[in-house]
Amino acid sequence: MYRRIIRNDMLKSKLITVTTMIFVTVSAMLVSLSAILVVNLSDAIDTLMKQAKTPHFVQMHSGDIDVARLADFAKRNSYVDEFQVSEFLNVDGAKIVIDGKSLADNIQDNGFSTQSDKFDYLLDLDGKVINASDGEIYVPVGYMKDGTAKVGDEVVVGSKKFTVAGFLRDSQMNSLLASSKRFLVSENDYAAIKDVGSTEYLIEFRLKDLSQISAFETEYISQGLEANGPTITYPLFKMLNAISDGLMIAVILLISVLVLVIAFMCIRFTLLAKIEDDYREIGVMKAIGMRVSDIKKIYLAKYAVIAAIGCILGFALSFLFKGMLLENIRLYMGGSENLSFALLFGIVGILLVFFAIVVFVNGVLRRFRKISAVEAIRFGASQEKNAGAKRFTLTRNRLFNTNIFLGVKDVLARKKLYATMLFVLIISAFIIIVPQNLYNTISSKNFITYMGIGNSDMRIDIQQTDNISEKATEILKTMSNDSAISKYTLLTTKTFNAKMEDGSEERLKIELGDHLMFPVHYSEGRAPRAEDEIAFSVMNAEELNKKVGDTITLVIEGKEKKLTVSGIYSDITNGGKTAKAVFSDHSAEIMWHVIFAELSNQSLIDRKVSEYADKFNYAKVSDIDEYIKQTYGSTISSVKKASLTAIAVALMITVLVTLLFMKMLVAKDRYSIAVMKSLGFTNSDITIQYVTRSVFVLIVGIVIGVLLANTLGEMLASAVISSFGASSFEFVVHPLSAYLLCPLMMICAVLIATIIGTSRAGQIKLSENIKE
Amino acid sequence: MKKIIIGENIVKSFGVGNEKQIVLDGVSAYINEGEFVSIMGPSGSGKSTLLYALSGMDSIDSGQVFFDGKDLSALSEKELSDLRRTKMGFIFQQPTFLKNLNILDNIILPSMRNKRKSAKEIIDKAKKLMKKVGIAGLENRDITQVSGGQLQRAGICRALMSDPKIIFGDEPTGALNSKSAQEIMDLISDINTEGTAVLLVTHDAKVAARTERIMFMLDGNIVSQLELQKFNGADLDGRIKKVTEKMQEIGI
Repeated sequence: MYRRIIRNDMLKSKLITVTTMIFVTVSAMLVSLSAILVVNLSDAIDTLMKQAKTPHFVQMHSGDIDVARLADFAKRNSYVDEFQVSEFLNVDGAKIVIDGKSLADNIQDNGFSTQSDKFDYLLDLDGKVINASDGEIYVPVGYMKDGTAKVGDEVVVGSKKFTVAGFLRDSQMNSLLASSKRFLVSENDYAAIKDVGSTEYLIEFRLKDLSQISAFETEYISQGLEANGPTITYPLFKMLNAISDGLMIAVILLISVLVLVIAFMCIRFTLLAKIEDDYREIGVMKAIGMRVSDIKKIYLAKYAVIAAIGCILGFALSFLFKGMLLENIRLYMGGSENLSFALLFGIVGILLVFFAIVVFVNGVLRRFRKISAVEAIRFGASQEKNAGAKRFTLTRNRLFNTNIFLGVKDVLARKKLYATMLFVLIISAFIIIVPQNLYNTISSKNFITYMGIGNSDMRIDIQQTDNISEKATEILKTMSNDSAISKYTLLTTKTFNAKMEDGSEERLKIELGDHLMFPVHYSEGRAPRAEDEIAFSVMNAEELNKKVGDTITLVIEGKEKKLTVSGIYSDITNGGKTAKAVFSDHSAEIMWHVIFAELSNQSLIDRKVSEYADKFNYAKVSDIDEYIKQTYGSTISSVKKASLTAIAVALMITVLVTLLFMKMLVAKDRYSIAVMKSLGFTNSDITIQYVTRSVFVLIVGIVIGVLLANTLGEMLASAVISSFGASSFEFVVHPLSAYLLCPLMMICAVLIATIIGTSRAGQIKLSENIKE
Repeated sequence: MKKIIIGENIVKSFGVGNEKQIVLDGVSAYINEGEFVSIMGPSGSGKSTLLYALSGMDSIDSGQVFFDGKDLSALSEKELSDLRRTKMGFIFQQPTFLKNLNILDNIILPSMRNKRKSAKEIIDKAKKLMKKVGIAGLENRDITQVSGGQLQRAGICRALMSDPKIIFGDEPTGALNSKSAQEIMDLISDINTEGTAVLLVTHDAKVAARTERIMFMLDGNIVSQLELQKFNGADLDGRIKKVTEKMQEIGI
């Protein structure tokens, strides 16, 4: 019997059944995809890190190194299993030319290494340890993907020529988020190009027990061993490898949840309408003694069938699409053979979707218990409606035209029914506005101040060169005589020792100079102004456990000096651990200089940048816009793509749901429409009433959606952004687009959908619907 | 006497092909201004269909209907709606109201569609009518909070709001008990006395006996008519007897 009831019911409401099924299918597909991706990703990372024997602890170091002392420490330390020091030859991008094109514009720190003999292997695309012959070069796999290099290309480093023999996977630096990239050459060739760049060291350890990393780290630091550079541990390598695909998976999961919610909404409003239609029947069934659970089964069965078909389809589709999304993981980390496990996870995913739907339908059907058999049989309709809105009567109405009044009144009288549509419209408004605001925010020029970079026109870096101070002075002199430059400032980074509460010392990189001219965005406090003030980046402040107003003791020119923390800012430069102060110092070694300049005429930027770049070839001169483009260009463009996609998807959802909802309403309201027509209301009167209903719901939806977007959405977005290192940020909103254009687009979508959805209302036969 | 409605050779059928069923088979009928007319006949004889055809609520397959000299088939949907709203009133067997609105709002609804008078005048008129039909004080009730008889009175108020030339009633007392039915019929008679034409569909001889002309229908045709004097309250039983005798004669 169930089968017949379900079949008839589905045939009668094909459109809504198909739509609900599509939403369920898409949601199941996305959940299953993310489950499969999670399994593959974690598997691939494990395999890669196992094959490469990734070090557990790496101390990067530049400057003098005492390898014998390190080896001695490693031998004596009980945690250490294996130890090695590998060299990394850091070469300026301009000096690496691949197939005739240099890497000068590349923002990665590119360098050269030889194959390690104990661990930390560089692997080929089959997961084998590479042995580079003389004249051969292996290029990081990322440069294969972006088309920078292909096998057989000629690579020139300094004056030495290489041929690209293949590509390599680097378990440490594969990720785009790792700022360095290693090229592999033979020992002989490495020796030949050693003069082209500066040597850095990777002091690497593998431990007997991975869980002892922090204990080992403490011992390493306490011995005062080489530590001029960042420290990276095994879990961080793992995270770096996982993060970009991980983010993609997170986004897919989020979308699948949204789609599922929309499927829920479709189910809810079909069910509510159906229950209202069947009110009398349900009452009769109750009256003749059928149990509530028996009645529920009939309704539940239909949705169980829809959910089951949708889930199975979604699962099948996820296999079609998985190859596309796995491509990146396969390329960077190698394939995973664990198909059965991925399958199992996918099945668990779709089962979750299935049960979520069943539980949800059960929840909606709970109102069966409230149906009174007597009421249902006597009145044939629920008497619970008309709550509220009682005072909103036509008699008192002076504001609206009668048709508009009737539309608004209907929404107020049947809030429960319209709540469904409202919810979908809120979600739509939300997914239109949030990505757009996010895009506006990160593409605005001010955004870099959230990232620890002052807002200027030109930036000059002077690094790793002799007579660094003289060179900086030379540039400053030129600038002071350059009328095109309206203001400029020199910031010098030096390292100082800080005394910690427990008596230990910590080395801090501090940027000295005027921090008021090109200020960054302070999440707390303000820029340092006095000699005894200092500001920390968020990461540094967290690590040093300092808040605004706290003090810290620094050793400056041999003397201890107390500084007060004046502010905390977000920073992603230099590993996110930076500090800013204004005191003067003549003793500590200068690590680098940065000069920021603003031009009086913006159109001169290109010319000035190339002029300074030609004149001072030891400095790296960049246009800030170019700098932003290089650093976040791909992020900005993908956010833009995402926001456009979001608009298209949200509008489609809006149209589809409004259309369905209006069609259902017309079917439900046949009687009222017939009554109104008999009283002399025209078809266009009735269309106006329906348009009023949907526009009214839409306006409420947009208002709530915008409010949510600017509160919850901002929170969500800042969670995403803080993962890049910025904190406490505010949306940059383009009011015209967010508050006028997008709502207008939604109103158009809703209008069109409503007019199409209610077009059949005119064909309702008066006599058939009024005659009993 | 001027005819307000003239129907000529009206044909109307439902269904298609083998299931096609002719409900009105070339019917011609008329209503005079201020006349009180009823249509009687067994179920399925086409009496309600004729009422809807004459009022322009339902389309017809062939034939013509003139209202106040205008050919209804030549009017646009809009003009037809205007005509219904301003010149005609309807009373149905089951009161047809919008559930969301209270009694007063339902009564004034058509008049508010495009106001010819101020809202205050409309509301005053509605209240006056409500008092007249005996439902004063129920203005703010929901339609589910009043009895069937009260609801039917509200329906009559709504029909009278535009001072129509004619009121159509499809078994207006069919769902009421005999006391309420009598009261409603008294009300309709009063309205007719004031000059409004009335066309009722009924199967109740007691109702038909109050009208001045009765059209009897059988199988889609008007088979006979019975002319009575205008009812003035006297000799109802005699009139009922005439109606029942006529019914037996035709075989209804």
